[in-house]
Amino acid sequence: MSEIKNLSSVLKSVSKPGRYIGGEYNRIIKSKDEVKCRFAFCFPDTYEIGMSNLGVRILYDVLNSDKDVWCERVYAPWEDMKKKMEEYDISLTAVESGDPLTEFDMLGFSLQYELCYTTALQMLRLAGIPIWARDRSEDTPIIIGGGPCVYNSEPIAEFFDLINVGEGEEVLLEICHLYNSMKENGSYTREAFLRAASHIEGVYIPSLYEVSYNEDGTIREYKPLYEDVPAKIKKRVIADLDKAPYPTKLVMPYVETVHDRIVLEVYRGCIRGCRFCQAGMVYRPIREKSPETLCNTAKCLFENTGYDEISLISLSISDYSELRELTDKLLSWTDEAHVSLSLPSLRIDSFSEELMNKISSVRTGGLTFAPEAGTQRLRDVINKNVTEDDLMHAVDIAFRGGKSSVKLYFMNGLPTETMEDIEGIADLAKKVVGAYFKLPKGERPRGISVTVSVSCFVPKPFTPFQWEAQDSLESLVEKQKHLRGCITDRKIKYNYHEAKVSRIEAVLARGDRRLAPAIALAVEEGFMFDAWDEYFDYDKWIDVLDRAGVDPDFYTTRGFGLDEVLPWDIIDCGVTKQFLLRERSKAYEAKTTPSCAEHCSGCGANKLGGKNRWCN
Amino acid sequence: MVQLTPNHPYVTLRVKFKKVGSLQYISHLDLVRTMHKIIVRAKLPVWYTAGYNPKPKMIFAAPLSIGTESVCEFMDIRLIDDISPELAKARLNENMTDEMQVLDAYYTEGKLTELRWLEYDFIICTDNASDSLADECERALLSDSVTVEKKTKPGEPTVTTNIAPMIKSARATYRDGLIHINAVLSADPSSFLNPEYIIRALRDSVGILKNPRLTEESYSIMRCGAYREDMTDFR
Ligand code: SF4
Repeated sequence: MSEIKNLSSVLKSVSKPGRYIGGEYNRIIKSKDEVKCRFAFCFPDTYEIGMSNLGVRILYDVLNSDKDVWCERVYAPWEDMKKKMEEYDISLTAVESGDPLTEFDMLGFSLQYELCYTTALQMLRLAGIPIWARDRSEDTPIIIGGGPCVYNSEPIAEFFDLINVGEGEEVLLEICHLYNSMKENGSYTREAFLRAASHIEGVYIPSLYEVSYNEDGTIREYKPLYEDVPAKIKKRVIADLDKAPYPTKLVMPYVETVHDRIVLEVYRGCIRGCRFCQAGMVYRPIREKSPETLCNTAKCLFENTGYDEISLISLSISDYSELRELTDKLLSWTDEAHVSLSLPSLRIDSFSEELMNKISSVRTGGLTFAPEAGTQRLRDVINKNVTEDDLMHAVDIAFRGGKSSVKLYFMNGLPTETMEDIEGIADLAKKVVGAYFKLPKGERPRGISVTVSVSCFVPKPFTPFQWEAQDSLESLVEKQKHLRGCITDRKIKYNYHEAKVSRIEAVLARGDRRLAPAIALAVEEGFMFDAWDEYFDYDKWIDVLDRAGVDPDFYTTRGFGLDEVLPWDIIDCGVTKQFLLRERSKAYEAKTTPSCAEHCSGCGANKLGGKNRWCN
Repeated sequence: MVQLTPNHPYVTLRVKFKKVGSLQYISHLDLVRTMHKIIVRAKLPVWYTAGYNPKPKMIFAAPLSIGTESVCEFMDIRLIDDISPELAKARLNENMTDEMQVLDAYYTEGKLTELRWLEYDFIICTDNASDSLADECERALLSDSVTVEKKTKPGEPTVTTNIAPMIKSARATYRDGLIHINAVLSADPSSFLNPEYIIRALRDSVGILKNPRLTEESYSIMRCGAYREDMTDFR
């Protein structure tokens, strides 16, 4: 009897086999002989998570809109499936065609969080593709990286042939077109293609730069190997989001996914400028879509999917200048179609009775607010422009409206933080409980619960806090303990993120190219799904870093000098260093900065395109 | 044909469909969620349940477990308008993929609970397949005592159950190197027999599928018929 080497023969023995079968309604099938470029979008996490990613949904649609390109999807197999694949020598394949990844022209990895790096590289291994770019041959697929992580892609730069910095809608097609034309006119070699691609705005070819270091270990300089290679890579921005392509069909998963619903991207960017938030800086400037466009898209999506929920998403949905028009427009048909609207967590100062009555998720769901810091001083330092009064006002409305559970998000280890700020978190939670008991008995819902959830601050590239040192593990743990001691009320639940995870996250987010051998070692040792608590192993990470000669303190507790060359200085994300420095000094004076809608602070993001009505 | 009246605001459309190939790996819960969206996309005039979170009303007969294919699944849906069953079938099929298609649709007043027996085809690819093994399988399934270890609730210890009363008939043959079994099993809700137990019983009694090389040994199960108590076709 011959051996059957494909996935279906092992499906009977793995957990949740439905995530490996593909065959979904609305998936796109083309004939491989009729396309010029086969692209595989690889998501370095499970099917359930990857299928929910908006970026992948958009780019799948964009790439497939080109008749010469066929874009398919690939997800990471869960551990039991990975073991079977290794045992029976089954190669990682794409969902649509079932073809091994080596048959593709390009693989594009969506890098959403640093802890997915090992998973991405394991996927390459499972496909039989060398993880180091330099080890690949002429006919290996071109390996592309994109997503929020690539604002500092240095730790993984040498694993990728090409990095897409910024929004991918236009640039990915340009890359495919260049590839197709070079193949057609016979000028294609891997080297020539990458060199030519480096001229496309938003494309970074790591192999075309040489990095040198100073004696103290800091970076001396990035040097392009050739004159025609840009010294800095400008992020790519879609100028007019209202006209940008947006899918009107979605691939319909058979199994339940994380965001199993219609997701409407209302705008990109953020007017706020919280000083710890990378997304708020790198997606600038804010670009809104019109209520008409959004409503039309929503209707199309409803008809083509049959979903009964539409979720409006953006970094801070209540800042959308036409939120009322949009919700009214949507509600004019959604109720009748038995479709519900949902909003992600709202800013504290925007929570209103009107929204609660209008939006079912606000009406029925739990309440989540993010004051981020426990005292007004520290909230001013991080430029989170909300006050205690705002919070009290919001919870008062919520309790009167029948809500009884509130979740509050905070961060530990913020710059200038003292124990007083930590105690402030407990105080704030107590005051929320107090607001509940202030209401007359008849007017409040039964059984209040307040959850305080605290994560650890990671100083991220392209934020005003990018130079800050991360709190040491000891200090973070001590703060967590102190807070635990301050929370005495049994109505307040307290949970916190592992400081050890945040430390490794910081190393990966702030690292340079010298981290790559450690990551390669981790992959060799079988690390995968580091973003999943059950697979993250701090001691093993410290071990591989140590063996590769990397001192984690150098990237975390040391902090970066203001005049130091930063690993991500090779990227121009629009927002200027001067602006970040200005914001940094204002932080130390606990001075806030108004939102873009109130006053333009001249961040510089408008120079790359996508300028909005507020930008100077 | 039922008339729609205020007291009877809906008609019941019975849909017979197949769920084959890789869709055998989709759980019943996921099937229900998928079907809900298919019905909405097909724009059928469905009757929604009342209450806070209205859903189209769908009732399924004898849910399939993961790993079993079927060419005779039944689902009742309530419609507030009696559109032609052919149209309903066509619209549903446009919104399904190849591995799930409606085979028949018609209005009914019958109850899904009239379904009592289900017929299955098993194909077993086992190292020791032979004519005599097929005979052994048939004999084992038709004996008075066919025992399997069953878990009544997760976490609880297994109990040994005799499933012989739940097997109405069984026939086994050896063809092209494979064992083929056709069996009719109970679909009575109080004594429903999951066809996987047939495989398990044969593994324990006659020793099929004992080779640990999973990629070589395999089996498939196809639900292929549905009957009433008196063994007339259920429809
Ligand atoms: S240029 Fe001004 S308005 Fe535009 S994003 Fe920057 S700070 Fe905001």
